[in-house]
Amino acid sequence: MTLFLEQIVNGLVLGGIYALIAVGYTMVYGVIQLINFAHGEIFMFGAYFAFLCLAVLKFPLWLAVLASILLCALMGVVIDLIAYRPLRNAPRLSALITAIGISLILQNLARMIWGAEPRRDLANAKSAFLSQTVIIPGGAQLSYLDLSIIILAILLMVGLNRLISLTRIGKAMRACAQDKMAASLMGIDTNRVIGATFAIGSALGAVAGIMVGMRETIEPTMGYYKGVAAFAAAVLGGIGNITGAMLGGVVLGIAEVLGAGYISSGYRVAISYILMILVIVFRPAGLLGRASAKRA
Amino acid sequence: MISMSSILSSRSGLILFFLCLVPLATAYLDQGDYLLRICSTAYLYMLLALGLNVVTGFTGLLDLGYVGFYLIGGYTAGLLMARLGWSYWAALPVAAIHGGLWGLLRGAPTLRLTGDYFAIVTFGFSELLFRIVKNEEWLIGGPNGFVNDIPAPTLFGYELWQYWQQYYHILILLILTLLVVYRLHNSRIGRAWQAISQDEEAAQTMGINLHEYKSLAFAISAAIGAIGGAFFAQFQVNISAGVFEFWESILILCMIVLGGIGTLKGALIGAAILGSLGEVLRISLSWMRLPADSRYLIFGAILVMMMRFRPAGILRSTQKSP
Amino acid sequence: MDIDPLLEITGLTKNFGGVVALAQVDLRVMPGQIASLIGPNGAGKTTLFNCVTGLMAPTTGKISFQQQDIFGTSAHQVAMNGIARTFQNIRLFSEMTVLDNVRIGCHTQSRGYLWSAISRNRAYREEELQITTDAQELLQFVNLENFATQIAGNLSYGDQRRLEIARALATNPKLLLLDEPAAGMNPQETNDLIALIRSIRERNITVFLIEHDMKLVMRISEWITVLNYGQKISQGPPEVVQSDPRVIEAYLGQSAGSNH
Repeated sequence: MTLFLEQIVNGLVLGGIYALIAVGYTMVYGVIQLINFAHGEIFMFGAYFAFLCLAVLKFPLWLAVLASILLCALMGVVIDLIAYRPLRNAPRLSALITAIGISLILQNLARMIWGAEPRRDLANAKSAFLSQTVIIPGGAQLSYLDLSIIILAILLMVGLNRLISLTRIGKAMRACAQDKMAASLMGIDTNRVIGATFAIGSALGAVAGIMVGMRETIEPTMGYYKGVAAFAAAVLGGIGNITGAMLGGVVLGIAEVLGAGYISSGYRVAISYILMILVIVFRPAGLLGRASAKRA
Repeated sequence: MISMSSILSSRSGLILFFLCLVPLATAYLDQGDYLLRICSTAYLYMLLALGLNVVTGFTGLLDLGYVGFYLIGGYTAGLLMARLGWSYWAALPVAAIHGGLWGLLRGAPTLRLTGDYFAIVTFGFSELLFRIVKNEEWLIGGPNGFVNDIPAPTLFGYELWQYWQQYYHILILLILTLLVVYRLHNSRIGRAWQAISQDEEAAQTMGINLHEYKSLAFAISAAIGAIGGAFFAQFQVNISAGVFEFWESILILCMIVLGGIGTLKGALIGAAILGSLGEVLRISLSWMRLPADSRYLIFGAILVMMMRFRPAGILRSTQKSP
Repeated sequence: MDIDPLLEITGLTKNFGGVVALAQVDLRVMPGQIASLIGPNGAGKTTLFNCVTGLMAPTTGKISFQQQDIFGTSAHQVAMNGIARTFQNIRLFSEMTVLDNVRIGCHTQSRGYLWSAISRNRAYREEELQITTDAQELLQFVNLENFATQIAGNLSYGDQRRLEIARALATNPKLLLLDEPAAGMNPQETNDLIALIRSIRERNITVFLIEHDMKLVMRISEWITVLNYGQKISQGPPEVVQSDPRVIEAYLGQSAGSNH
């Protein structure tokens, strides 16, 4: 029973991480109907930037985290600016292919710069404080790091929800997601809004990257693996639906941990693929999407 | 009934003639076998590029998991020949049909949905296959999807394993595939596919049944991929899961993007360039002490540049996009 | 003498979420007629065309074509049954040649099986020849035969409209739906269009068009149906509709001078 509880908790931690990455995919898809394949790479760079600031620039941890978030947000905006924006009116296929290209470039760039070996620098940098564990009701053991991840993820998700529903920029985002033409007729600068969407999604991705870096290791392929899972979560929740992405992240995180624990660990990643295909076959709109996911 | 004029213009006929002479020339070279191997690999990629082009080029749907059919063909033929002792001439069509069936199955759930969902399913499908082959030892009979000692085809009692024989083997497969794809492209079916890729709704008002035509494209594209896989299995003699990774799909996609999505000449040229460039890069990168995989960085840059500046491919001068 | 209507719509309703695009619309188009569908912007005219041609699923109602129920029939099947259409914003296959655009229209008139396409047997080659001949004849019919090898997207606006009509005619329809065929045309082009529509009717094709150009509508139509806010508010021959106060009021609500 304790083991099961620990699995659930692990699943929640992973779920929180997936949720943070998944909202990035879903928000971008919402405003420009693009599957941003490069998003996983931004998440990966989040971890590497933090490592860079720590190991090379000798920043204190909090500053490294902050710097990484800002750099990733900037990276997201720049990628949109130079790669996606020129193709705004081109066929969807062109933008999709470009996104794949960017993903390839970033992943291999990281590999060339930092090597393919997994790094433990972030994991080592977390203070002894975070490594401490606490026993929660039910008997499971939980590290302070994991606890902070869950709490932080919840806070960020709530914050994002507030942003989307209460602020002006959030309203602008929702408007653009519904109808860009109408939004621009209402005086909304759609390019700015799209840029902000990329910035926010990338920032959250960076946070997730740092979390994973602290919990596990940093390696160039982490963007691919976690990215695929997070994308599956976004599809599961209903691509384009932010709350859906959060929910999908949690569901997928728990499913993955339980599946790896009780069925087989070789198929850890495969769970994402299977879920993605099942969702598309049986309920393309996802858990929270509209019932008809036919051609828009 | 095959008419010479329907296959090739005289310029292409000349090219073909010289290609047939290559093994004669390389017989006198030290590295002759190695050159033949590179050419054969290039032809294989050209065949695969033609196959991917049927779905992504002709109907405009992004297939991110083409390597999946390459895998199905390779393992179907490989297992039939190595474990069950089948002849290549029987294993090849079975592999093709097997691939075609999976092509239909894979695409079926996405017929009512937008192209994005198709892309997602194709990606998940090929990755799932890869992992199954890697992990299920009972199915494949070896760890990591390892199947060994796949025999070459025999003709009139001779085993066709030599490099020059393999060269003609793949060249013939390539020409037959090109013939089929060319004729489909320039027919009522090809026109229907083009219409679908440009405007699905307008195509429907012309009486074009979208489901039917998309399914046809799925099946044919998959069968071609499987044929490539079957050839590859006996060419390599030993296959393992590592060959069939996701990035191969992206590589082949890169080839048709470079040459110009939707055009046959473009697919062939893009594949010829990248197929050989891939080999060259792999060698020079390891010489420069960089990881061989970083050639994918160049492929990524190619994709981005092409979409931005020459979406119609390097051959076309217009800015028309896929 | 009682002739059956070619197209009969009864109680057609289409809802989009909360918006009612069509409300209980009844109308008939008789064979051999040139009929028009008019109404202010947003009245639901194109929605009606979409429902008839199967591109949209109506909410309720009855649609019969040649006394056969086609409610809910898929778009490609509707085309096979003999209804063709053009689009308000010209949806040609702009990257294909002019001739190929029309040849695609011939799709409904051919079989083109997979094996015959690959083997290029006699049956295939004869069919292709027929398709090309038919397509060329249609290009002549709309005076575009000199443009056969041009890329469709490079044609002038007026030529593109005629090409779209030729393409629709290639499907060998009994009923041709034209969605604002005169949009953006000058008086000379409009006159040519009127002549074209009349010669289409001479080929035993019934024409049903949506138009805003009132002069054109009044000159050419034998029967007019008027929609406003998704409801039919009037119908009849031009003289009747012209002087119907409900019609005048519906249009006066729009900006004055809606004709060219």
